[in-house]
Order: sequence, then C-alpha cells, then structure tokens
Amino acid sequence: MNKALITLDNVSIGYNSQPVLSGISLSIADASFTAILGVNGSGKSTLLKTILGLLPPVAGRIDAATSGAPLVFGYVPQSIQFDPIYLLTGFDVALMGVYGRIGPGRMVPAGERDFTRECLRAAGAEEFGGRRFAELSGGQKQRVLIARALATRPEVLVLDEPTAGVDREATKAVLEFVSHINKERKITVLLVTHDFASARHYAGHVIWLHEGTVMCGPTGELLSVERVAEMFERGEV
Amino acid sequence: METLSQILSPDFLLRNSIYTSVLVGLACPLVGVFLVVRRLVFMGVALPQISSTGVAIALSLPMWFGFKLAEHSSHSAHTLAFIGSVTFSLSAILLLAFLERRGRGQPEGRLGTAYVVASALSILLLAKNPYGEIGWLDMMKGEVITISNSDLVLTAATLALVVAILGLFHKELLLVSFDRETAIIMRKKVVLWDVVLYVLIGLTVSMAVLSVGPLIAFGFLLIPALTAHLFARTMHQFTIMASLIGGVVALLGFLIAYTWDLPVGPTDVVLLGALYAVAWSVAAIIISRRTTAAG
Repeated sequence: MNKALITLDNVSIGYNSQPVLSGISLSIADASFTAILGVNGSGKSTLLKTILGLLPPVAGRIDAATSGAPLVFGYVPQSIQFDPIYLLTGFDVALMGVYGRIGPGRMVPAGERDFTRECLRAAGAEEFGGRRFAELSGGQKQRVLIARALATRPEVLVLDEPTAGVDREATKAVLEFVSHINKERKITVLLVTHDFASARHYAGHVIWLHEGTVMCGPTGELLSVERVAEMFERGEV
Repeated sequence: METLSQILSPDFLLRNSIYTSVLVGLACPLVGVFLVVRRLVFMGVALPQISSTGVAIALSLPMWFGFKLAEHSSHSAHTLAFIGSVTFSLSAILLLAFLERRGRGQPEGRLGTAYVVASALSILLLAKNPYGEIGWLDMMKGEVITISNSDLVLTAATLALVVAILGLFHKELLLVSFDRETAIIMRKKVVLWDVVLYVLIGLTVSMAVLSVGPLIAFGFLLIPALTAHLFARTMHQFTIMASLIGGVVALLGFLIAYTWDLPVGPTDVVLLGALYAVAWSVAAIIISRRTTAAG
C-alpha cells in the first residue's frame, strides 16, 4: 500500500457542532481508488464535505501529506444539482476548472483554454463541449464535470454519487474512465456511492459507513461475496 | 424620426432625463442578470422599494430633528437622499442575502412583506414632508423630468463601475454563483465575492431609484434580463442582450412618453412588459416548432 495522502485522526463529523459520526480514524493512500460506501443518510456526503473542507470537523484533525501547498481536489459533484438557468456550454463549465490557478481580474490565458480542450478530449466530452450544459444527458454532464475536475490538475479526484441521474451504460463508461485515470495518471480517486456493485468492481479500498460505524479496509476483505450476501439477506443493504 | 432627432439634440430641454433613462436602462440589467440566475427575482422587486424608503426617511430627518435645508438648494436634499438610498439598499441586500443563505423562514414572505411595508412607508413619509412637494413623490411614481447634472454624472459613474467590476471579475462572480462548493474547494473567497456582487446590485439600485424612481428601477432590473434569457445562448450574450434591451427600451419609452405626453416610468415598464410578452410567445413558438421537427 502506498503512503497515506489524507489522514483522519479521531475525527467527528456533523453540522452546527452536532456530530453525525464520531471517532473516525482512517487514511486514504496516495494513488488509491477508495469508495466511500453507505446507504442514504449514513453520513457519507458529510464525510466527503469534511474531507473537501466544505464543512469543518466537529472534533479531531485531518492532515494531508503534501509539501506545504494545500491538496488540490478535482471535485465532480452530482450533475443534477446544477440550475439549468445558467447559459453555459460544456466548455464554459470545464473551463471553470482552471479558475483556481488564475487570480482575480485576470483573463484566462490561451494555454489554459487549450488545456481545458485537452481535458474535454480525455474525458470523451469534446464533441458536446460546445452544447449547452443544461441540455446534455446525465452521462454527458458527468464527463464534462470530470473534464473540469481534470482541468484543476488534481491530486485527488473526488466523485459524489456519479450514478445519480445517469443510466447504467453511462455510469459504467464514466467509472471505467475514472479507473483508467487512476491507473494511468496515478491520481488518487475518492468515490462516494451507495452502489455496492460499483464499489466492489472499481475500488481497491472501501470506507463503509454502516449503522453509525465506519469500517475501512481492502475491498476484497470488507465486501467479500459472503459478507455482502449475508447483509442482503438481513436487508441491511 | 423628427421627434427622435429632437430629443437626441444636445439643446433638448430634457436631455438629462433621456440620457439618465438610457444609462439606467443599460446599467440595471447588467446586475439584473445575476438576480435572475441566482433566483433572486423577488429581491429585485423589493430592493428598489426599500431603497426609496431610505430616500423618504433621509428626507424626513430635517423635519423630525427640526432643522431646515438651505432654501432653493436641492443639492442638500439630493445628498441626504443619496445617503438614505445607498444605506437602505446595501443594508437590505446584505441582510436579505444573509437570511437567504441561512435558509430559515420563507424568503418570498420576507421579501413580499419588505416590499409592501417599504411602499406604504415611503408614501406616508413623503406625504407629510415638504420635500415631497418638490418632486420626490413624482419620482416615486416614475416621472423622469427633473434630472440634475449631478444625477446624470452619478448614473454614468455607476454604469462605468458596474461594467468595470463585472468585466474584471466576471469569472469569479460566475463561479461563485454557479457552483459555490467548487469555488470553496478552489479556495476562492466566496463571501467576499458575494459581498462585491451585492454591493454592486445595491449601488445600481440606489443610483436608479435616486435618478428615475423605484418603478423604472425594478422594471429595468428584471424584465430585460428575463427577455434576453429566452434567446441568449451564452452568459456573455445574455448580459449584453439584456443591457441593450434595457437601453433601447429606455430610449423608445422616452420617445413614446414625450410624443403622447405620458409619464416616462410607467411607459418604460409597460413597454418592457409588452416586449417580454411578445418575446415569450415567439420563444414558445420556436420551441414548439423545434419539438415538432425533432419528433
């Protein structure tokens, strides 16, 4: 296993100082593909937002093994959350990925625009980059959002429920691509999902939020066929 | 055409009124675009009225505290009105935006109440105020007649400021509006950008209310942006189209009002409403034809 990139030390997560889950100690290895797994309401989005810095931890600390600069996250939110009122093309949305490197009041340089096109191409979104984002299918939106995440030049690619609002074929294509990026570019991937099958198929490690507890480990151990079958029988998943 | 060349002539008596109307028509939609995409349309309605209440309260201060403004000097009254308008606009937009962000209560209820109370309070205060007689009540109704040179300069300066800030910081304001979470992850100062946007909206509304009154202000804040949204394909097109619609309608509205001796404000707003209705119908027909062709 590679060295830990993100470490949570006795962390409590929640809202307005009210913990939802407490005593979380785990680490996410560099270049790993980790799934945060759990049913709706288990706290996986809260955990993700805390790791991303969108929510402060209620207690404990989160460390990133970087050389001083803050960790760069390429965040892929759920595509259904975006308001269709914005008149943005796929390219406009993907271009936002480079904004983190450009100071206020400065134009986006031509080089960054070219890089965004490369990211759209890499994510298989080049052909619909000129179309309105709101009019794209769920799978196409996911690809544009992945291109935007890649445009941030991320150290960690974070996907929040990429299967939401996306058909089975598109989900498979998106996860295959993310798996490919993880292997080829050695980018750490953090996938939030309630889909056990996807987690088992793609993730090397799993953080499983279940009935107020947090379990971590290699996918093969934590989500063994016997164990998942047993849980299905008990109606727990 | 003759009337048009007459009102555009530098010697035209009401030249300040027409220049100011057109500048307000150009400036208000620029910030109105953000009210529309952030789904803050009700705020666009309530804010000009709250701003005009600020004007009314500021003009009531001399009466309440028993001092008189210099006779025949509208400058002091204008300064007081400007302070009242800006103070109320900025305080209201920052407070309402804060409450919106907290997500408690009913935003529509809050804004509706603020609008109706502010309307009533403005009329009550100005009805009992000596400065109400020198044109402020007319202003509240949208009569754009007595526009001073300083009002014109203030309007032009505000337009320049709005264009400069929106041009310079468009990407930051757009990112924070479209995807706040990503902006935070990118370590953008989201609260700062919200404040920049709200201050810009507050200043534009104050300037518009002070120059042309609340009726025209909320007409131009929202209707050009809503009309442009029906046809624009990109955010740049949306912004430019909304601003141009505002400017052109302000000019046409003034021309119609001057020709038929009508109050400018209501004429502008009715014209904007009619244009929106026609644009909406045309857009609906286009969508229906596209759907039929695709099906």
